[in-house]
Amino acid sequence: MTAANATVDAEVADRAGMELLARRPLLVSPIDMLFPLQPGDRPLVKAGEAVGRAQPIVEQVREPRTIVVNGVGTAEEPGAPGERWAAGPRARGNESAVEGELLFRSNGRWRVASGERAETLEAPSAGVVEDVQPGSRITIRSVANAIPGRMTLAGPTWGRLQVATGADGELRAQHVDVGAAGAIIVAGARMDAEALTRARAVGVRGVIVAALGIKEQRDFLASERRGRAAVHGLPPFGILVLDGAARRPIASPLMTLFEAIDGGLVAIIGNPPALLVDDPSIKLPAAAPDLVRVRSGPLAGAEGTWAGLAGPRRFPAGVTLEAAFVRFGGRPPVAIPIGDLERFA
Amino acid sequence: MHRVTVPRALLAIDAGAATTSVALLGRPGPRWRLLGSLSAPAGADVDALGWILAARLAVADARLAGDLEIAADEAHRLPRLEARSRPVATLAVLGASRRAVGLLEAVAARTPWRIRTASPETHDPREMTDLALRPEVTAVLVGAGDPPGPDERGWLDDLAGLVGAATRRRPDLRVVLAGPVASRNAWAEGAGRPYDGTHEHIVEAPPLGVRSGPDEPLREILEGLLPAAPDPRQTAVRTLLSLADALDRKLELIDIGLDGGLRAIASPGIADQGPAAVSVRTAQAALVPTEIDDAAVDAVLAWTTGSLDRHRMGDRLLDLRGQPWAEASGEGARLRLAATRAALARLAAVTTDIGAMPSPDVTIVSGGAFAIAPPRAVALAVADTIRRPGATQLAIDHARLLGPIGTIEDPDERRALVADLADDLLAPVGSLLVVAGVGGNRRSGPHAAGKLVLDGDQHGRYDLTTGEVAFVDLAPGDQALATLDFKDAVRVGHRAKRVTVQVSGGVAGLTVDLRDVPLRLPERRDRRRAALAAWGELAWPGDER
Repeated sequence: MTAANATVDAEVADRAGMELLARRPLLVSPIDMLFPLQPGDRPLVKAGEAVGRAQPIVEQVREPRTIVVNGVGTAEEPGAPGERWAAGPRARGNESAVEGELLFRSNGRWRVASGERAETLEAPSAGVVEDVQPGSRITIRSVANAIPGRMTLAGPTWGRLQVATGADGELRAQHVDVGAAGAIIVAGARMDAEALTRARAVGVRGVIVAALGIKEQRDFLASERRGRAAVHGLPPFGILVLDGAARRPIASPLMTLFEAIDGGLVAIIGNPPALLVDDPSIKLPAAAPDLVRVRSGPLAGAEGTWAGLAGPRRFPAGVTLEAAFVRFGGRPPVAIPIGDLERFA
Repeated sequence: MHRVTVPRALLAIDAGAATTSVALLGRPGPRWRLLGSLSAPAGADVDALGWILAARLAVADARLAGDLEIAADEAHRLPRLEARSRPVATLAVLGASRRAVGLLEAVAARTPWRIRTASPETHDPREMTDLALRPEVTAVLVGAGDPPGPDERGWLDDLAGLVGAATRRRPDLRVVLAGPVASRNAWAEGAGRPYDGTHEHIVEAPPLGVRSGPDEPLREILEGLLPAAPDPRQTAVRTLLSLADALDRKLELIDIGLDGGLRAIASPGIADQGPAAVSVRTAQAALVPTEIDDAAVDAVLAWTTGSLDRHRMGDRLLDLRGQPWAEASGEGARLRLAATRAALARLAAVTTDIGAMPSPDVTIVSGGAFAIAPPRAVALAVADTIRRPGATQLAIDHARLLGPIGTIEDPDERRALVADLADDLLAPVGSLLVVAGVGGNRRSGPHAAGKLVLDGDQHGRYDLTTGEVAFVDLAPGDQALATLDFKDAVRVGHRAKRVTVQVSGGVAGLTVDLRDVPLRLPERRDRRRAALAAWGELAWPGDER
């Protein structure tokens, strides 16, 4: 680094410069929860309606299929795509009543989305229905505080929050017991497929984890599909992944939030991926303004305080990157590429 | 009378899906100059980037900053040229048969749309309706032959009814009709009224043809459905045209970004004809596909020399997709360039028409994937995937100026700015010389193929071996005449035993590539890795991990 650059950096370091770092919101409110509908699903709510937690909002068809029917509606009211349709039991057969959603009419015959059985989807949190589009989505606006995550698998679900391990912990199958039944557990840095399966089996309602590998994701989703196809279906369960796939500890501001909420009711939603905290009486702590976290690279997971921009620096593999100084504890500041850092807001 | 005040400094902003880049341009004399540039992860505050650039300028050259009246605290007031990426939109491609969908998909793949396909042969009507109604799907492309093919006739009415019904349920849905779909009675049954050509969200396109013809009409329609805001890849093509005209050179632009890629070739105007360009923007060339399946993982693994298994590579790609700026050094840099190679290969696969054109004078690479890699690694990545015999000068759009400059609507004004900045906006990587037909007998292994002489031995004489990649030092700014003598006839644009080409220097020097065209990597994984590692040793000197 040249002397001129050093002078420049000294000048520039006076300014925060933190705006260059990726910003990670800790809390978002209000939030629009989207619940996807498939053709055949029956919305149970209307736009403008207030819904409470656990209130059924959709009747979802299981084992969906398309049936072809004649004689829907009348000449004056021939039916329209998206409308519900039902037929009583046949007089001579053993077939029971069928119902579904009109898809389209072709050559006088309707295609209808139907299914053998239905299960209800319940609202994971209170809110007001903003929009209902049959076959597409329901949007519910919630004024709860939402902690955004990176992705959600399965869900939605809700339960009391239980911090089961530390930020850098890894919950093993043998540590998951029925004591956590009905809870959404904070499972630390990572969780393997066996522990996830056991959590599901003992009645845990959800898991919050910093990272989940692509193999674990696929294994879990395959297991979920098998479970859903079973006769009795499955109780709600969801996994909220906070960071990504590679193992790393949960960020301390998030862990502080989880510890503050511990024991309170929360919900995991899929779109957008987030944890909802309904209870307004819980005081949610904010992160220190100069806190930065190393989200990747050799120091992934480490947290320190902002010490200014470091300018372009050369890093391993002959790569020159814009860097920033971060102070870890009482040690001298270390230059880290700004792409490896994140701040909280 | 109005007096137009021409600014003496401005900010050029390229806000991409992964990176926000800001360049500070100034006109200290009669010409515009690039004063500095700075990039940060997408979402970074543009004003903060401008402030830092202005502050650095003030410290580095206070007099220049004073002359141009650039002050850090006033940087946010500077005029701006701004190109901003939009989130990728999803297009549902529907046809009455798998073949018809394949034809449509081949055209749609050469557009910035993310594609989801379905036909009655692969999906049932409920699933196809589900696809058309998904919130992320903003347009539907539905096509059929005219007359419909035998494989389409059985399902065409159902398809017409299905899409007609979708337009009724989603009035906002844009629909492109490529063929006689709306003329079917079933369309009226689904849509609730016959199609009379007046629906503002429905566009008609040429029907599917038996023979493959130019796909421009349909591509133009599909690109026309995208929001009109200036997209950096769209506007970069305009700048490329101006640059080709200003430099009087044939230029190629290759851009790989997080959400898609661009390949364009522009030629200068001849006589009273203006410059012309052919371009393809495609979501297929995204650095990391949105859905990381086994094929996406294998495509990257094929370019790596490490020992990652599929799952771990999938994890790395998932993280790269979510945080494209993270871990850009060390092993992360190599992973990034392996993903770039996979994206370049996808880009080359959908731009065979551009690939078949003669080698351009200058190939410009652009995008975050290239911005930070060592120059030789960039040259090797291009050589690995864009296998076009011939010589070209490689340069990089290091300050990401092509997109913002393209937002200038007036071609004359744009050309004037580009002409001023031509020396600043491209950083020379070096020259790339791809020679085909040097393979000889593969069983006999590498052997002497010929020799390379630069400017009558002023710079040196190099023996060339079959199947090798050679890097020859040639400093930025240097020009040389490269003469290659081979024992047998080779292809460098044309067939000859002796080839003489003008080459230019750069940070990576001259890259001479005598490998197969197209590149054939060993089937066995260990041999492939060994070959990649050997070439990589040349591009990543010292193996700084």
